[in-house]
Formats: sequence, structure tokens, C-alpha cells
Amino acid sequence: MTDRRSLIAALALAGALAAPGAFAQSAPPQKQAQGSSGIDLVTLPSESPLVAIRLLFDVGSIHDPAGKEGLAALTAFMVSQGGTQKRSYSELLDALYPMAASLGGNVDREVTLFTGTVHRETLADYAKLLQEALLQPAFAPADFERNREQLVTYLTNSLRSSDELLSLELLQGEIFKGHPYGHPTEGTVESLRGITLDDVKTFYREHYTRANLMLGVAGGYPQGFPDELARAFSALPAGQKEQKALPPAPKIEGRNVTLVEKETSSVAITLGHALPINRSHPDYYPLMVANSYLGEHRTMYGRLMEQLRLQRGLNYGDYSYIEYWYYPPGTDYPTANVPRRQQYFSIWIRPVAPGDAQFALRAALSELRRLHDQGMTKDEVDTVRTLLINYSKLWAQSPSDRLGYLMDSKFYGMPPYIDEIEAHLKKVTAEQVNAAIKKYLDPDDWDVVMIANNARQLAETLRSDAPSPKTYNSQAPAQVLAEDKAIQVLPVKPTSIEIVPIDQVFQK
Amino acid sequence: MSLRIPTALLGLLLTATAAHAASQGDIFPFKVHETTLDNGLRVLTIPYESPGTVAYYLVVRIGSRDEVEPGHSGFAHFFEHMMFRGTERYSREAYTEILKKLGAASNASTGDDSTIYQLIGPARELETMMDMESDRFKNLKYSEEDFRTEALAVLGEYNKSVSNPILPMLEKQRDLAFQKHTYKHNTIGFLEDIKAMPGYYDYSLKFFQRFYRPENITLLVVGDAQPQRVEELAKKYYGDWKKGYQPADVQPEPPQTEPKRGHLDWPNPTNPYMLVGYRSPAFSTRDMNSAALDLIAQLLFSETAPLYKEVVVDKQWADTLSAFGDLSRDPGLFTYFGRAKSDDLVPKIKEAVDRHIRELQEKPVDAQRLDRIKSNLRYAFAQSLDTPAGIADQVSLYIGTAGNIGSINERFVQYQRVTPEDVQRAAREIFRSQNETFVTLSHKGGAAHD
Repeated sequence: MTDRRSLIAALALAGALAAPGAFAQSAPPQKQAQGSSGIDLVTLPSESPLVAIRLLFDVGSIHDPAGKEGLAALTAFMVSQGGTQKRSYSELLDALYPMAASLGGNVDREVTLFTGTVHRETLADYAKLLQEALLQPAFAPADFERNREQLVTYLTNSLRSSDELLSLELLQGEIFKGHPYGHPTEGTVESLRGITLDDVKTFYREHYTRANLMLGVAGGYPQGFPDELARAFSALPAGQKEQKALPPAPKIEGRNVTLVEKETSSVAITLGHALPINRSHPDYYPLMVANSYLGEHRTMYGRLMEQLRLQRGLNYGDYSYIEYWYYPPGTDYPTANVPRRQQYFSIWIRPVAPGDAQFALRAALSELRRLHDQGMTKDEVDTVRTLLINYSKLWAQSPSDRLGYLMDSKFYGMPPYIDEIEAHLKKVTAEQVNAAIKKYLDPDDWDVVMIANNARQLAETLRSDAPSPKTYNSQAPAQVLAEDKAIQVLPVKPTSIEIVPIDQVFQK
Repeated sequence: MSLRIPTALLGLLLTATAAHAASQGDIFPFKVHETTLDNGLRVLTIPYESPGTVAYYLVVRIGSRDEVEPGHSGFAHFFEHMMFRGTERYSREAYTEILKKLGAASNASTGDDSTIYQLIGPARELETMMDMESDRFKNLKYSEEDFRTEALAVLGEYNKSVSNPILPMLEKQRDLAFQKHTYKHNTIGFLEDIKAMPGYYDYSLKFFQRFYRPENITLLVVGDAQPQRVEELAKKYYGDWKKGYQPADVQPEPPQTEPKRGHLDWPNPTNPYMLVGYRSPAFSTRDMNSAALDLIAQLLFSETAPLYKEVVVDKQWADTLSAFGDLSRDPGLFTYFGRAKSDDLVPKIKEAVDRHIRELQEKPVDAQRLDRIKSNLRYAFAQSLDTPAGIADQVSLYIGTAGNIGSINERFVQYQRVTPEDVQRAAREIFRSQNETFVTLSHKGGAAHD
């Protein structure tokens, strides 16, 4: 409970705090150009002894041919974790090792990123290896077998054994079912097994082109280096820039439950629905305020965290999102270079005790319903506005992160994102926030994924919609108990419930 | 509000201050300003070009190593959670409201040897941070109801991790490897102890009084900060904090006399895992075995190691093979971890590792290979120093383990001095069969591998 002295102290201190934006720094010099190389070039010079390079190709899992899901990922692996025409993969690793460098391939739905940060003392050597890997991949059969099996093992072992990552990935599959975003970037076990080395070579030839490449360089690089690097990559085929058209995300009707049956001691829960906007849309920013209020990632600030964990001890954390978030368990801030034209809203409820699963789902939905029906007050909007304007300045502290954010802004065709946050939020009103909540957040139509032992019993529990009273290990505050009476009978009314055994997940 | 002392007086009250400029060749390239208050609180300021931003860390040299009372494993980590439950001046809600105004990132982490509290926020609000953070470190106060509720969040944290085979394997390994020392348990603690946590409210009050004392803590400010200002504020806000640290009576672990084996059945389909640990020396910048072991980890398990190439790249017996030996204050475990493609490959991988270890024991390693590893370690460290938080993370790690920031440069000098003979000697002394603890995990029905 908040006592009066605490409030007075807090208010006194809050009054002394500077206005939003005082934390801001002047924008670093940046340059975006398309020189004689024909390659989009983004540069961000600084005094840092480090130099970051990012190569962002407009190719991702949406370009996987039907039945060959995972091809974009496997191709990127063959470039970043395979040999070149001059040296074997082992020899490539040997060359990178003394400079503590890597080629860092990562594939998302729409883009493929290769990135590395090195000390400027080793920049010239690193740049040569980067060129060699990207321009002259060997596509050796042994590398192919190894990389393909790495992807299969990731699906069957890493993802299936991490309940949280599993639920986060499966939710995307449910929201975007039948859509190019609908399969994991790694594909499925069966689709990976159907990919041949020739498929990889063809995919590389068609998509690793100058037209598809955005090159970024940041840090303390020597003058002229970015242009030299761009000229080197002009050896890629010209290609033709052609952004693949995306259908709208399928409309979710009702409340669709996917239960994964697995022997596990708790229940991981993730729910959400598609959003028709991304960060380039003006409505994104009022919605960003609402989302932060509901569940700012890995902070104690959101309503979900307050109500589920801090008041009720249901689990370790509860957050919400209006963009895809790369690897939520291991990141504090949004990761650069996973841009997507189509986004989704989601709530991540970290694992709860099996007996609390229905209550936890209801508690999160209750918060979503409350936000939808009641909206935010002007004071609440003002608080979150200040928070986000300052907090977002922390998201891009390193030269590499700043560069990544700039490149994403180019992808979205918008001014620099961090600057846009401040520009929009300074002006946003409570009315705009509440209108965005009503327009974009839907407490009635969503998909939920739950990873649970005895999924059949959980299905029955959810289907019955019976009250789910919550008990506590100590005397809970009266307000919490009063709220619980409403939460425990909140109608969920599942429209559909599907049970999937764990060994069938990502199988085909 | 606490009593405010006029800033002009503070300079007179500070103890002697030292500024250590980076010498040529030092791996840590920044000037460090260090002072110690009369109550023993050490204050480090590291100015760094990050306009408007500082990383404000408090490094408490208390971790799961200090949980010496039976039944209290995991308590240091649990207590870290309680540090966010408020004081009389700043309730939890009030503390959070101020953080929102700051737009600060706030977090904490607990390990074997230390607990680190991290705040990254606006440099202009340094005094606000000093006020809030000193208040909770001096005057933490929470109800028993809050304590019991937070214990459930810790159980939730355990549950989120336990679906991954690694956590139960590490639990098993440590439990087998240690009999007396508190490294016997993971930082999060044994499940039965976590379940019992709600009943330890009174113990938690004593824990705070005993361990959260200034002479056991370092305040670290990195970024857009002036050392004199930091030191003045530190004196103002932390100067009245009373000494009183009572170290835990951590029992040394007797030498291991025989190899140990353990196996876990896993209820869900999985490739088999293996986790092999060897009793290893404490972090030391004097004991060459300590530094040589870091190089051995690279010689055997980096992606360029012949062993890695054999097992992962060429024969493809495993999709993962890596080593981890975190800096540890007391003798701990050097551990390698692998995930095999099938059950029958586990013993083959173990044989391959043993063979490569024997090679290190029998003949001096090529000096050029060592040079390449030293180069890798230096560049990897340099690349981690690109933000205030990145710098503070590294410094905190060394302070938590070694107790001082100077150990960073000393460690890298030590690496440079490691010879092929040092590696050979360390390999012989550490990788003995009686030092080994070998844990496997496989889908139900699999057998332990000897």
C-alpha cells in the first residue's frame, strides 16, 4: 500500500524532475546515400574505436517457396556458417577468431541480417572476410548437412524444450495462419528435410542482390571505408527491388485456444491478435502509450505486471507488445533489424502454476478489457509520455544499435524512429490514445497459446468457463480480493480449442 | 526526506581520492576515479562519452555463495527481489513512479558471488538516483504479506527456467560435486527451499542487516558524470550508512577424491545432453592455473578448436559443444556442455574430449595458438565496452569476484604471460578423473554413460 509520506516524497521529487526530452541527445551525424555502387548505404561516424557493419537484405521467410519453409534461414546459415570458395568453414572461423569477430546471420520474416562489430585495428581484415563470405560462398555439401540439422535440432530440441519461446513462436503461427508470416523462419522438420543444396544456391542467386541490400557502417571507421565496402558489394548481381506483396492478416473471430500437451510443471501463456499498423503509421504512437501503460517489456511499470505479479504473485512477469519482439526472455530493449510491415498485439504471461492458469488468463483479459472500456486518464498518458520519451533513448546506445535503428527507419520509409517517438509523443493527447485503444485493441477476438501438462483437463476447464477462485499464501489486500471476485468469473467463452502434442509441433 | 548536508561541506568529509589513468597496454582503457567513504563504501566513477546518460550500479558482494544456513539456498536472489519492495519514504509504488519519470531502466541480477543492482538513466538526475537508491539500501522496509507474495514470483522464475534441461542438469551437477561449499546449489536455489521461502520473513530482516552494509558494497557510476560530483553526492546520501557487515562462514570444499556420475530422465522427447565439470581454482591474478584455464576453455571448446571441429563440424556428433567457467571467488567448477545427435554418441563425444585433454597434458600447446587466443580475449573484451552499461557490467563482474577493478588489467596481463608450459601444468592438475562430475540427460529410458 502507498502511505502518505511516500506519496509526498514521490511528488516532491517528481516535481523536481526535468521536462520530457531533457534526457535527449543531439542526433549524431548520419548519411544515407545510394552512390555509384547502386547499394543503399547508411553511415554513422563516431569516435568509437569500434566499427559496426550491418548488411540488411530484403529477403526473409516470406520468400520461402511453399513446401520449402526454412530455405531463407538455411541460405543465411550457409553464408554465415559455411565455407567460402577460398577456405573451408573451419578456415573461415580460424581467420575470424583472433579478432573476436563473427558474421552474425539472422533471418526474420522480411529481412536477413549479417552483422559484426570489430575493433578498427582489425577492420580491413574483417571486411575482406565479410566480402568473401557474402560474395563467394562455397555451398559445400557437408556444410549444408550440418546447417540443416542445426535448424532441425533448434526446432525439435531448443524450441520444444523452452515453453516460453515455444508459446511466443506458436502464437505468431496462429495469428498469421495461412499468411506468409505463418511459419517459423526455421521452417518445419519436414520442410527442412525437403530442401536441397540446389534450392539454396538458387535462393541465394535470386535474392542476394544489390537491389535488395542495405549496407550500414557505424563507429570509428577510416574516411572512405563505407564507400569502398559498398563498391566491393557491387559485385552482387543487380537484381530488382521488389517488395513482396502481403495479404492482410486473417481476421480472428472469437477466442481460439491452442493447447500444447507436454510434460511440464507450469503453464506458459501468450495471446494476441494482428494489428493493421506499424511504427510508420501515426496511430502507432498513441497505441504505444497504451501498450506501455499495459505492459512495458521487462519493467515493473505496466498494469499487467502490477496486477498479476506484484499484487498476486502469479508468476515472474507479464508484458504486452504492439510489435514483434525478438527473443523476449533475453532482451531488455527492442532489437534492431527485425522490421515487419505487418505487426501484432500480444500479451506474454510468463509460466504460472497449473491451478492458476485459467485465473491468470482471466486476469490479463480483465486488464485488457479495462483498458479498452475505460481508457487512460490524462495524468496516466502524461506519465507514460515522459517515461517513453526518456526510456526510448536507452534503446540505441551502442553504435551498432543506433545504426540498426536507422536502417529500420529506412525500411519503414520513415524518419529516425527514436526521434519520431519523441516528436509524436510530445503532441499525443489522451483522446488520441483512447481512440487508438478502441480502434486497435480487441478484448473479444484473439488467439491464445498455452503450453501445459494434461492439456485435455485444461481444455475442459476453459470450456466450462466455471469460476476460478484464487487463493493466497497470506492475507491479500481487500482491494485485490474484491477485484478477484470479478476476475474469477470473467467470461472467456472459448470459440475453439485445439490440442497439439508436443512432438507434432513444427513437425510439418 | 533524509537530512541534507550542504554540498560545500562534503568535499571536506571525503576520504582520500585516487584517480587511476589507463596506462598504455591496459585492457581497460578508461580513467577510473576511486574513493572510499569512512563507512567503507567504495565509490568508482568512470567518465565515458555518453551525453546525458549514466549507468548507476551497486555491487553487493553477496550471492548464493553466502547462503550457508541449511534450507536457505536461493535466498540472496530472493532478497534481490525484496529490494524492490520499498521503504517508508519511497513505497514500491512511489519508487516506480519516480523511475517512470526518469525513464530509467532498472534491474538487478544475482550470481554465486555477488548481487548487482543496475539503473541506467539521465545524468541530470544523478542526485535523484543517489537519494532513491541510498534510501532503499539503508532503510528497506516491507510487510510480511509482500514478502510472501514475492516468494511466489521467485517460484515463477524457477518454473519458467525448469522446462529447459539445463537448469536441472546444473542442479544435479553442483549437488554431486560439492558437499560442504555453498556452490552446491544454483543461485536460484533448490526447489524445496524456494517453496519454503514464504516462511522466512524474520530471516530476511536479519539477512538485510547482516549483509547489506557499506563496507561490502561498491557504488559504480559510468558515463556522463563528474567524479567530484559523484563523490560529493555519495557522501551526502550514503555517508550516514552504518557499518556492520558480518561475513558468512563459507566452508571450504575438501578435495574431490573420486569421479562422480549422475543421470536425469527427461519426460519429453529430446536429444541427449551431457554436462561435465572439473573442480577448478578460484579466480586469481596470481595463480597461473586460473588464467590458463580460461585459455584451455578456448583451446578445447572455441569454434576454432580442433575438438570442436572434430565433434561439431566434421563428424557432426553434436550440435552444441561449449564450455563455461564463470569467474568464481572460491574454487568452483569448469564445465563443458554438449548436446549429442543420439544416445550412442554421448560416450564417443566424451572420449573425444578426453583425448584432446590428454594431448594438452602430454605436450605443450603451439605458442602461436595461444597468441591467437590471447588476441581473441582482448578484442572480445574491448568490444564489450561500447555503452555505459556494457562497461559497468564488466567492472561489476570483476568487483563481485575479485573485489577490485584493478583485477581487470591484471587478468589480461596474466593472460599475456601464460606459456604453453602453464597450460600443460594446469591441464594436468585440473583435468584429473577424481575431479570430474559427469551428468547426462536423455529421454526416459536412456541410461547414464560412463
